[in-house]
Amino acid sequence: MSVGVLTKKLLQAALFYEIWDAMKVTFKHMFHRPITFQYPREERTIPDTHRGALGLLRYDDGAERCVGCDLCEAACPSHCIKVVSAEDKSLPLQRYASEFYIDITKCVFCGYCVEACPVNALAMTKMYEYSTHDKRTLLFDKKRLYEIGERHLADAKKYLIAHNQEKDNQESRDYRYFFPQSVLKATQPVPPKHLT
Amino acid sequence: MALKPATNPEVEAATIELSINGQTVTAKDGVSLYDVISSTGKIVPAMCYHYTFDPFGSCGMCLVMVDGKKAPVRSCTAKATAGMVVRTEGDDLFQARKKAVEKHLSVHPLDCPVCDADGHCELQDTAFLHGVTNLANAKQKLIPEDTRSLVLDFNMNRCIACGECINVCKDVLMIDALQFLKKGGYTQVVAKGDVPLSCEFCGDCLAVCPVGAITNKYSKYLYKPWQLKKTTTTCNYCGDGCQMYLETKDREVVRVTSPLSWKNKWGDRAETAKGHGGICVRGRFGFQYIDSRARLKQPLMRRDGQLVETPWLEAVHAVVDRLAEIKAKHGAQAIAGLITARCSNEELYLFQKLMRAAIGTNRFDSSSRYGHLNFVHAVQHALGIGRMMNNWEDITKAKAILLVGTNITETNPLTAVRVKEAIRVYKSQVIVVDSAQTNIAALASHPMMVTPGTEGLFVQALVKSVIEQDLVDPEVSGKHPEAFAALKEAVEKLSLDAIAAQTGVPVDQINEAAAIFAEAPRAIILCGEGIVRRPGGYQHVLNLVDLAWITGKLGRPGCGVNTVTEEPNEQGAVDMGAVPEFLPGQAPFDDGAAREKFSKAWGAELPAAGSGAQLMDILKQCRNGDIKALYVVGENPLATLPASLEVKAALERLELLICQDPFLTETGRLAHFVLPACTYAEKEGTFTNLEGKVLRIRQSMDPVGESLPDWHIMAAIASGLGYQVDYESAQEIQNEIMKLLPGYYNLGQPKKIAAKPDAYLSNGYVVEVKNRYASRVTRLSSLAENHFALIMGQLLYHSGKLSTQASGLMKISPNTCRLRMNAQDMERMGLTEDARVRVTSANGSLELGVQADLTVRPGACFFPEHFNEPAVKDLMPVEVDSITGVPYFKFARVAIEKA
Repeated sequence: MSVGVLTKKLLQAALFYEIWDAMKVTFKHMFHRPITFQYPREERTIPDTHRGALGLLRYDDGAERCVGCDLCEAACPSHCIKVVSAEDKSLPLQRYASEFYIDITKCVFCGYCVEACPVNALAMTKMYEYSTHDKRTLLFDKKRLYEIGERHLADAKKYLIAHNQEKDNQESRDYRYFFPQSVLKATQPVPPKHLT
Repeated sequence: MALKPATNPEVEAATIELSINGQTVTAKDGVSLYDVISSTGKIVPAMCYHYTFDPFGSCGMCLVMVDGKKAPVRSCTAKATAGMVVRTEGDDLFQARKKAVEKHLSVHPLDCPVCDADGHCELQDTAFLHGVTNLANAKQKLIPEDTRSLVLDFNMNRCIACGECINVCKDVLMIDALQFLKKGGYTQVVAKGDVPLSCEFCGDCLAVCPVGAITNKYSKYLYKPWQLKKTTTTCNYCGDGCQMYLETKDREVVRVTSPLSWKNKWGDRAETAKGHGGICVRGRFGFQYIDSRARLKQPLMRRDGQLVETPWLEAVHAVVDRLAEIKAKHGAQAIAGLITARCSNEELYLFQKLMRAAIGTNRFDSSSRYGHLNFVHAVQHALGIGRMMNNWEDITKAKAILLVGTNITETNPLTAVRVKEAIRVYKSQVIVVDSAQTNIAALASHPMMVTPGTEGLFVQALVKSVIEQDLVDPEVSGKHPEAFAALKEAVEKLSLDAIAAQTGVPVDQINEAAAIFAEAPRAIILCGEGIVRRPGGYQHVLNLVDLAWITGKLGRPGCGVNTVTEEPNEQGAVDMGAVPEFLPGQAPFDDGAAREKFSKAWGAELPAAGSGAQLMDILKQCRNGDIKALYVVGENPLATLPASLEVKAALERLELLICQDPFLTETGRLAHFVLPACTYAEKEGTFTNLEGKVLRIRQSMDPVGESLPDWHIMAAIASGLGYQVDYESAQEIQNEIMKLLPGYYNLGQPKKIAAKPDAYLSNGYVVEVKNRYASRVTRLSSLAENHFALIMGQLLYHSGKLSTQASGLMKISPNTCRLRMNAQDMERMGLTEDARVRVTSANGSLELGVQADLTVRPGACFFPEHFNEPAVKDLMPVEVDSITGVPYFKFARVAIEKA
């Protein structure tokens, strides 16, 4: 070890150089805007394509979009969806989902179910806060899914648009499925415009 | 091959040669080109084609190029001719076919997500195959859905007018309930006359519909095909033993489908002689009882007069203790049993083993006692065989079929389809002898409506007529001259004129029927409940055997005497020895060698020879207190037998009544123990159908509640009684049966059996035949105006009491609580549809409503045997056959007056 190097080391030790050097980063950040979010006091802006909790949607007139076709169930790679479809007794010949379950603990948020849905009844929302003390509440039933859909309707629509599922409100109406008429009870007296 | 086979099955069509895609192919002359192509393994899409009927040619998909033709031709309607040069592939053909699909799709609603056929749709598949993604000029039909039928919905928006439903109904089933109708600018399929569909509801139209235009009301919207677990099993409603697919989702049965479907449209038309793969209304729409809420889920035990739920272990312990106690106190003979022929072969075998080896009693019986044993005993005695002689193929290819006393389209609908194919394709002459205007009589060449109760007499008249007209087979009279002389002498007493007066069929018609039967090269006799369940059943089967013998129909291929069975395993019950007179394999119980064989195999002493008791004796001994304990498996004697037999008193006198059933029956309500058993859908096993085919039943779902398979419960009881049986599964019982009865498990290919009448004819026949032709019907002459023949019988939509638990069948055919009468009679007596009548027989009297029924002949009335409300069965007199012990209680003479 040469004399020069030794002198430099002694000097640095006497002046606590390493401490100053380390504190350099700290002092620099005193004049920076913080990067960390103060979650949960602060909320993050989430992109429209975000894949959060699934919700079921209704049309503007309040009718359920879902026709109980079971295609989401077929598309789901983690088998977390269960649809029980039935005939609506009050409106004969209308198929609907009498029960609809999504086990969100199994969900891998791939979004295949949304893609499979022929009437765009399912959409993903920006909701991700559903931690709970009771795991059983994470089996979302039909009621809960419609609640999510209602509360996050705007986000859900944005999701569908961002994923090229539909363009605008007009197109979402065009996706609507109109059931065939029955002999006993004409449920659809006037044929919808796009069908004529 | 879709074109009808040659009428005479012995004649071979000429062979031709043609070239398909450069390969030389040989084919039969007169066959559709499409069939020749598909026989090479090449599949050309076709939506309106099905091999079971003649090509229709409406879909325009099966296009091929034939040399010499400018445009593609439809191969299904084109006949293959010698030297044809055919090309089936190529871009031009692909485009032409794609155009055809687009044409169909342009008026198809594209409602796949809500369509029940989604994923099981030929149009969907074909569109995918041809890459149809864009439709110019698509338009919608917007036809209202026709939901007027009870079981089927017609959504004509989806219809592609392929005509398969109409063709299968008209051509295969000969019901002809559907038609095309131009309505609202579109060709639609509607019920004949555009009324609510009311037919036999076999649902074969639903099976062949390649799209979702016809849907099943009972499972509509409940499923998508890919969600269902499909189990191939055997139907357990009648003795036909149809194969079917039970489709389940978790613990519920969603629907039943048949092997007949648009999916298997390629086949050889000649093969349908063995069955076209369809099923009937009971099989297809009567599945709801399997997962019904009424099913028993826990064993019940009587405590303080009440049936209370008990754990299995406790219940079986108590049953075993009580049985052991009764056996110790009163001997094994104080225990008896009854079993239904809806159990599998393994269970029937285990039941008789339990009774004979573990308990040591030969007092038990099965429900084949209600009629089938008459047939078995008669043909065993006369011909040395134990089941019917022919199979479905023989029936189809017969030149003459004699149907005696069987409403076959109602009782055994799929055997009836064989007769229909014989009529339609093979042009056979069918003689129907019945006391009702049945559906098969409407199709038959020689319908003969006889006075109720004279079916047997008619058969005797046929024998007499054959001899009188000298139509006797010369070989027969030459071989057994003594027997023939005896028969001739016996029928001498009969007078054809007297019989004609009694049966109501003119003599010349009787003679014509006899001539047709005797002269046909392949002639089949099929008898049903009108023979085997009516007084003199055993003798009448022997009369039929005589008829077959003198016309030379015994031992000739394609000829024989046959019967139809009501329950799925009546034949199996006899074969498995679940009747006191037979050991397994129909060995007589008193036969020394057989006794030794089974006693050794079971490691137990068999009950003494001659100690057996049949159904009627069991009830009698229950009444007089000789029998203390009765083990009833699936049977319900209280609801089946007339009250005059005092079944209730007999059962109430018992110290121990164990009832093992999927449902709480009337008998079960009296029981001390009710053990919940599984239905056929929840267990493994085999059934033996009327042809002798041993057919598998397979487990399709977990048992409902805590119910267990019958064999499991029986094995537990046997083990509890100290007779160790360690069966882990029904398969192990099967292995034991295989060892004892080699060759019984015939994998659905039973060996042909040959009648051996010689021993009987040369020995014993002469003595017996003397009294066989003594006329039984004497009561008829003194008939007053208001006297009627009351018949109890089966309906198409029901089978026994089991089907009344199937909500689907109850919806189609509910208990109307009304007596069915001929409209003429009703008019004569001044009865309207809302009138009530008082029916009086020697056994009692009751009041009930009436309804007009076209099938009932004047002078008769009918009530379905499936319903006990009102208890018409209690009016029935009971006569017990002196030889076979069969109780006859389906026929009565009653007086009817306006109430």
